[in-house]
Amino acid sequence: MSDLAFITGTRKGIGRAIAEHLLSQGWIVAGCSRRESDLQHENYHHFNFDVSDETAVIDTLKKVKKTIQPIKVLINNAGVASMNHLLLTPLKSYEDIFKTNVQGTFLMLRETAKQMSRSGGGRIINFTSIANPLNLEGEAIYAASKAAVESLTKTAAKELAGMDITVNAIGPTPIETDLIKLVPKEKIEALVKQQSIQRLGTYEDILNTVDFLIKPQSDFITGQILYLGGVN
Amino acid sequence: MRIERQTLLELLQTILRELGEDLGKETLLQTDERTPLFGSRSDLDSMNLVNIITEIEERLSDDYDINITLASSSAMSRTRSPFLRVGSCVDYILELIEKQNNE
Repeated sequence: MSDLAFITGTRKGIGRAIAEHLLSQGWIVAGCSRRESDLQHENYHHFNFDVSDETAVIDTLKKVKKTIQPIKVLINNAGVASMNHLLLTPLKSYEDIFKTNVQGTFLMLRETAKQMSRSGGGRIINFTSIANPLNLEGEAIYAASKAAVESLTKTAAKELAGMDITVNAIGPTPIETDLIKLVPKEKIEALVKQQSIQRLGTYEDILNTVDFLIKPQSDFITGQILYLGGVN
Repeated sequence: MRIERQTLLELLQTILRELGEDLGKETLLQTDERTPLFGSRSDLDSMNLVNIITEIEERLSDDYDINITLASSSAMSRTRSPFLRVGSCVDYILELIEKQNNE
Protein backbone atom coordinates (compact mmCIF):
# COMPACT_ATOMS: atom_id res chain seq x y z
CA MET A 1 0.00 0.00 0.00
CA SER A 2 1.20 3.53 -0.76
CA ASP A 3 2.31 5.84 2.03
CA LEU A 4 0.51 9.04 2.86
CA ALA A 5 2.03 12.51 2.74
CA PHE A 6 0.28 15.48 4.28
CA ILE A 7 1.18 18.81 2.72
CA THR A 8 -0.04 22.15 4.04
CA GLY A 9 -0.84 24.96 1.64
CA THR A 10 -1.62 22.85 -1.42
CA ARG A 11 -4.02 25.22 -3.16
CA LYS A 12 -1.24 26.84 -5.20
CA GLY A 13 2.49 27.46 -5.52
CA ILE A 14 5.09 25.21 -3.96
CA GLY A 15 2.58 23.14 -1.98
CA ARG A 16 0.56 22.41 -5.08
CA ALA A 17 3.70 21.47 -7.03
CA ILE A 18 4.82 19.06 -4.28
CA ALA A 19 1.35 17.51 -4.08
CA GLU A 20 1.19 16.90 -7.83
CA HIS A 21 4.76 15.56 -7.80
CA LEU A 22 4.13 13.04 -5.03
CA LEU A 23 0.81 11.99 -6.57
CA SER A 24 2.64 11.27 -9.82
CA GLN A 25 5.00 9.04 -7.84
CA GLY A 26 2.12 6.98 -6.43
CA TRP A 27 1.81 8.59 -3.01
CA ILE A 28 -1.51 9.17 -1.31
CA VAL A 29 -1.61 12.89 -0.59
CA ALA A 30 -3.69 14.84 1.88
CA GLY A 31 -3.51 18.58 1.65
CA CYS A 32 -5.03 21.64 3.17
CA SER A 33 -5.63 25.30 2.63
CA ARG A 34 -7.96 27.90 4.01
CA ARG A 35 -9.89 27.93 0.74
CA GLU A 36 -11.13 25.25 -1.64
CA SER A 37 -8.66 23.53 -3.94
CA ASP A 38 -9.30 22.53 -7.55
CA LEU A 39 -6.69 19.78 -7.43
CA GLN A 40 -8.44 16.63 -8.61
CA HIS A 41 -6.83 13.20 -8.27
CA GLU A 42 -8.11 9.85 -7.07
CA ASN A 43 -5.41 9.75 -4.39
CA TYR A 44 -5.76 13.36 -3.28
CA HIS A 45 -7.78 14.38 -0.22
CA HIS A 46 -8.32 18.05 0.51
CA PHE A 47 -9.22 19.64 3.84
CA ASN A 48 -10.16 23.25 4.42
CA PHE A 49 -8.74 24.64 7.63
CA ASP A 50 -6.32 27.14 9.07
CA VAL A 51 -3.09 25.49 10.28
CA SER A 52 -2.95 27.90 13.24
CA ASP A 53 -6.31 26.63 14.56
CA GLU A 54 -5.44 24.00 17.17
CA THR A 55 -8.84 22.31 17.25
CA ALA A 56 -9.03 22.13 13.46
CA VAL A 57 -5.52 20.67 13.24
CA ILE A 58 -6.23 17.99 15.86
CA ASP A 59 -9.61 17.05 14.39
CA THR A 60 -8.37 16.93 10.81
CA LEU A 61 -5.28 14.87 11.52
CA LYS A 62 -7.29 12.36 13.56
CA LYS A 63 -9.75 12.16 10.67
CA VAL A 64 -6.94 11.56 8.18
CA LYS A 65 -5.56 8.76 10.34
CA LYS A 66 -8.94 7.09 10.81
CA THR A 67 -10.43 7.47 7.36
CA ILE A 68 -7.30 7.19 5.21
CA GLN A 69 -4.18 6.04 7.07
CA PRO A 70 -1.46 7.39 9.39
CA ILE A 71 0.77 10.11 7.99
CA LYS A 72 4.27 9.05 6.90
CA VAL A 73 5.51 12.39 5.60
CA LEU A 74 4.51 15.87 6.73
CA ILE A 75 5.46 18.86 4.62
CA ASN A 76 4.83 22.10 6.48
CA ASN A 77 4.70 24.37 3.47
CA ALA A 78 1.90 26.79 4.36
CA GLY A 79 3.25 30.24 4.97
CA VAL A 80 2.52 33.91 4.61
CA ALA A 81 4.89 36.78 3.86
CA SER A 82 4.62 40.51 4.06
CA MET A 83 7.21 42.98 2.86
CA ASN A 84 7.37 46.22 4.75
CA HIS A 85 9.87 48.47 6.45
CA LEU A 86 10.12 47.52 10.11
CA LEU A 87 8.90 50.96 11.19
CA LEU A 88 5.80 50.59 9.06
CA THR A 89 4.90 47.04 10.04
CA PRO A 90 1.55 46.78 11.84
CA LEU A 91 1.24 44.46 14.82
CA LYS A 92 -1.48 42.63 12.90
CA SER A 93 1.07 41.64 10.23
CA TYR A 94 3.39 40.31 12.90
CA GLU A 95 0.56 38.30 14.47
CA ASP A 96 -0.65 36.88 11.15
CA ILE A 97 2.84 35.89 10.02
CA PHE A 98 3.79 34.22 13.29
CA LYS A 99 0.41 32.50 13.58
CA THR A 100 0.67 30.77 10.24
CA ASN A 101 4.42 30.31 9.90
CA VAL A 102 5.35 29.36 13.47
CA GLN A 103 2.17 28.35 15.31
CA GLY A 104 0.89 26.45 12.27
CA THR A 105 4.16 24.61 11.79
CA PHE A 106 4.32 23.76 15.49
CA LEU A 107 0.74 22.45 15.70
CA MET A 108 1.02 20.34 12.56
CA LEU A 109 4.38 18.97 13.68
CA ARG A 110 3.17 18.15 17.20
CA GLU A 111 0.01 16.34 16.16
CA THR A 112 1.59 14.49 13.24
CA ALA A 113 4.53 13.36 15.35
CA LYS A 114 2.08 11.77 17.80
CA GLN A 115 0.72 9.64 14.94
CA MET A 116 4.17 8.87 13.59
CA SER A 117 5.44 7.76 16.99
CA ARG A 118 2.83 4.97 16.93
CA SER A 119 3.23 4.00 13.30
CA GLY A 120 6.95 3.40 12.99
CA GLY A 121 8.24 6.93 12.46
CA GLY A 122 8.20 9.33 9.57
CA ARG A 123 9.65 12.40 7.91
CA ILE A 124 8.81 16.01 8.64
CA ILE A 125 9.92 18.80 6.32
CA ASN A 126 9.44 22.40 7.38
CA PHE A 127 9.84 25.41 5.16
CA THR A 128 12.17 28.24 6.00
CA SER A 129 13.56 30.91 3.67
CA ILE A 130 16.85 32.47 2.67
CA ALA A 131 15.31 35.69 4.07
CA ASN A 132 16.63 34.58 7.45
CA PRO A 133 20.35 33.95 6.72
CA LEU A 134 20.50 36.90 4.32
CA ASN A 135 18.80 39.21 6.83
CA LEU A 136 16.69 40.65 4.02
CA GLU A 137 15.61 44.23 4.49
CA GLY A 138 11.87 44.66 4.40
CA GLU A 139 11.29 41.14 5.65
CA ALA A 140 12.19 41.50 9.31
CA ILE A 141 9.10 39.79 10.68
CA TYR A 142 8.93 37.15 7.97
CA ALA A 143 12.63 36.33 8.48
CA ALA A 144 12.14 36.25 12.25
CA SER A 145 9.29 33.77 11.84
CA LYS A 146 11.49 31.57 9.68
CA ALA A 147 14.30 31.79 12.23
CA ALA A 148 11.79 30.41 14.73
CA VAL A 149 10.90 27.60 12.32
CA GLU A 150 14.58 26.74 11.95
CA SER A 151 15.07 26.60 15.70
CA LEU A 152 11.94 24.48 16.06
CA THR A 153 13.26 22.16 13.35
CA LYS A 154 16.59 21.59 15.08
CA THR A 155 15.13 20.98 18.53
CA ALA A 156 12.30 18.82 17.23
CA ALA A 157 14.87 16.73 15.37
CA LYS A 158 16.56 15.93 18.70
CA GLU A 159 13.36 15.28 20.63
CA LEU A 160 11.81 13.08 17.94
CA ALA A 161 14.89 11.15 16.82
CA GLY A 162 14.14 8.38 19.30
CA MET A 163 10.77 7.89 17.60
CA ASP A 164 12.41 7.39 14.18
CA ILE A 165 11.12 10.75 13.00
CA THR A 166 13.44 13.03 11.07
CA VAL A 167 12.83 16.77 10.96
CA ASN A 168 14.53 18.97 8.39
CA ALA A 169 13.83 22.30 6.73
CA ILE A 170 14.19 23.54 3.18
CA GLY A 171 15.05 27.17 2.55
CA PRO A 172 14.22 28.00 -1.05
CA THR A 173 15.46 31.02 -2.95
CA PRO A 174 12.82 33.21 -4.56
CA ILE A 175 10.87 31.38 -7.23
CA GLU A 176 7.99 32.59 -9.34
CA THR A 177 5.17 32.21 -6.84
CA ASP A 178 2.42 34.49 -5.63
CA LEU A 179 4.53 35.28 -2.58
CA ILE A 180 7.03 37.31 -4.62
CA LYS A 181 4.88 38.64 -7.44
CA LEU A 182 4.41 41.95 -5.64
CA VAL A 183 8.12 42.38 -4.90
CA PRO A 184 9.82 44.94 -7.20
CA LYS A 185 11.98 43.34 -9.90
CA GLU A 186 15.12 45.19 -8.83
CA LYS A 187 14.69 43.88 -5.26
CA ILE A 188 14.56 40.31 -6.54
CA GLU A 189 17.63 40.88 -8.74
CA ALA A 190 19.58 42.28 -5.80
CA LEU A 191 18.55 39.32 -3.71
CA VAL A 192 19.55 36.77 -6.35
CA LYS A 193 23.01 38.44 -6.55
CA GLN A 194 23.61 37.41 -2.93
CA GLN A 195 23.24 33.73 -3.85
CA SER A 196 26.24 31.63 -4.91
CA ILE A 197 24.22 30.44 -7.88
CA GLN A 198 22.58 33.57 -9.20
CA ARG A 199 19.25 32.61 -10.65
CA LEU A 200 15.67 32.30 -9.48
CA GLY A 201 14.78 28.92 -8.11
CA THR A 202 12.39 26.51 -9.77
CA TYR A 203 9.81 24.10 -8.48
CA GLU A 204 12.11 21.29 -9.66
CA ASP A 205 14.85 22.52 -7.30
CA ILE A 206 12.46 22.13 -4.38
CA LEU A 207 10.96 18.83 -5.55
CA ASN A 208 14.45 17.37 -5.82
CA THR A 209 15.20 18.38 -2.22
CA VAL A 210 11.91 16.92 -1.01
CA ASP A 211 12.66 13.65 -2.83
CA PHE A 212 16.07 13.53 -1.16
CA LEU A 213 14.73 14.10 2.35
CA ILE A 214 11.92 11.54 2.13
CA LYS A 215 13.84 8.73 0.45
CA PRO A 216 14.44 5.72 2.74
CA GLN A 217 18.22 6.18 2.60
CA SER A 218 17.93 9.65 4.18
CA ASP A 219 17.02 8.26 7.60
CA PHE A 220 20.34 9.51 9.04
CA ILE A 221 19.67 13.11 8.05
CA THR A 222 17.84 15.21 10.60
CA GLY A 223 17.94 18.69 12.10
CA GLN A 224 19.33 20.13 8.88
CA ILE A 225 18.46 23.40 7.20
CA LEU A 226 18.97 23.05 3.45
CA TYR A 227 19.19 26.44 1.75
CA LEU A 228 19.09 26.38 -2.01
CA GLY A 229 21.20 28.49 -4.36
CA GLY A 230 24.34 28.29 -2.25
CA VAL A 231 23.06 30.51 0.55
CA ASN A 232 24.39 29.80 4.01
CA MET B 1 -18.07 9.78 25.03
CA ARG B 2 -18.04 7.48 28.05
CA ILE B 3 -15.43 5.23 29.56
CA GLU B 4 -15.47 3.45 32.90
CA ARG B 5 -12.77 4.30 35.41
CA GLN B 6 -11.70 0.66 35.62
CA THR B 7 -11.37 0.48 31.82
CA LEU B 8 -9.21 3.57 31.84
CA LEU B 9 -7.06 2.22 34.65
CA GLU B 10 -6.54 -1.03 32.75
CA LEU B 11 -5.68 0.91 29.60
CA LEU B 12 -2.97 2.83 31.42
CA GLN B 13 -1.66 -0.34 33.07
CA THR B 14 -1.49 -2.03 29.65
CA ILE B 15 0.51 0.87 28.23
CA LEU B 16 2.89 0.74 31.21
CA ARG B 17 3.24 -3.03 30.92
CA GLU B 18 4.09 -2.78 27.21
CA LEU B 19 6.61 -0.06 27.94
CA GLY B 20 8.07 -2.15 30.77
CA GLU B 21 8.51 -5.09 28.39
CA ASP B 22 10.21 -2.84 25.83
CA LEU B 23 12.54 -1.28 28.39
CA GLY B 24 13.08 -4.40 30.48
CA LYS B 25 11.74 -2.71 33.62
CA GLU B 26 9.94 -5.20 35.84
CA THR B 27 8.36 -2.51 38.04
CA LEU B 28 6.17 -1.50 35.12
CA LEU B 29 4.81 -5.00 34.56
CA GLN B 30 2.66 -4.94 37.71
CA THR B 31 1.34 -1.47 38.49
CA ASP B 32 -1.46 -0.11 40.64
CA GLU B 33 -3.08 3.21 41.44
CA ARG B 34 -0.12 4.29 43.58
CA THR B 35 2.59 3.56 41.03
CA PRO B 36 4.52 6.83 40.49
CA LEU B 37 4.75 8.09 36.91
CA PHE B 38 7.41 10.67 37.55
CA GLY B 39 9.64 11.99 40.27
CA SER B 40 12.50 10.35 42.14
CA ARG B 41 10.42 7.27 42.98
CA SER B 42 9.46 6.62 39.39
CA ASP B 43 11.20 4.22 37.05
CA LEU B 44 10.26 6.41 34.11
CA ASP B 45 12.29 9.21 32.59
CA SER B 46 10.77 12.29 31.01
CA MET B 47 10.74 10.78 27.51
CA ASN B 48 8.97 7.68 28.81
CA LEU B 49 6.27 9.93 30.27
CA VAL B 50 5.96 11.80 26.95
CA ASN B 51 5.47 8.48 25.18
CA ILE B 52 2.89 7.34 27.73
CA ILE B 53 0.86 10.55 27.42
CA THR B 54 0.96 10.35 23.63
CA GLU B 55 0.00 6.69 23.72
CA ILE B 56 -2.99 7.35 26.00
CA GLU B 57 -4.25 10.14 23.71
CA GLU B 58 -3.90 8.01 20.60
CA ARG B 59 -5.52 4.88 22.08
CA LEU B 60 -8.43 6.85 23.52
CA SER B 61 -8.96 8.32 20.06
CA ASP B 62 -8.48 5.10 18.10
CA ASP B 63 -10.27 2.65 20.37
CA TYR B 64 -12.89 4.75 22.18
CA ASP B 65 -13.36 7.75 19.88
CA ILE B 66 -12.42 10.01 22.77
CA ASN B 67 -10.39 12.97 21.56
CA ILE B 68 -8.69 14.87 24.34
CA THR B 69 -5.34 16.58 24.79
CA LEU B 70 -3.71 15.60 28.07
CA ALA B 71 -0.85 18.06 28.06
CA SER B 72 -2.84 21.22 28.60
CA SER B 73 -1.44 24.36 30.17
CA SER B 74 -3.87 23.96 33.08
CA ALA B 75 -2.49 20.50 33.81
CA MET B 76 1.09 21.74 33.68
CA SER B 77 0.40 24.64 36.03
CA ARG B 78 -1.32 22.65 38.77
CA THR B 79 0.46 22.62 42.10
CA ARG B 80 0.07 18.88 42.21
CA SER B 81 0.71 17.31 38.83
CA PRO B 82 -2.05 14.98 37.62
CA PHE B 83 0.66 12.75 36.18
CA LEU B 84 2.24 12.05 39.57
CA ARG B 85 0.70 8.61 40.00
CA VAL B 86 -1.33 6.16 37.95
CA GLY B 87 -4.48 6.87 39.99
CA SER B 88 -4.21 10.66 39.73
CA CYS B 89 -3.58 10.36 35.99
CA VAL B 90 -6.73 8.26 35.55
CA ASP B 91 -8.77 10.78 37.57
CA TYR B 92 -7.40 13.63 35.50
CA ILE B 93 -8.32 11.92 32.22
CA LEU B 94 -11.86 11.28 33.49
CA GLU B 95 -12.05 14.94 34.49
CA LEU B 96 -11.06 16.03 30.97
CA ILE B 97 -13.59 13.68 29.37
CA GLU B 98 -16.33 14.93 31.69
CA LYS B 99 -15.42 18.52 30.91
CA GLN B 100 -15.57 17.86 27.20
CA ASN B 101 -18.92 16.10 27.53
CA ASN B 102 -20.32 19.16 29.30
CA GLU B 103 -19.14 21.64 26.65
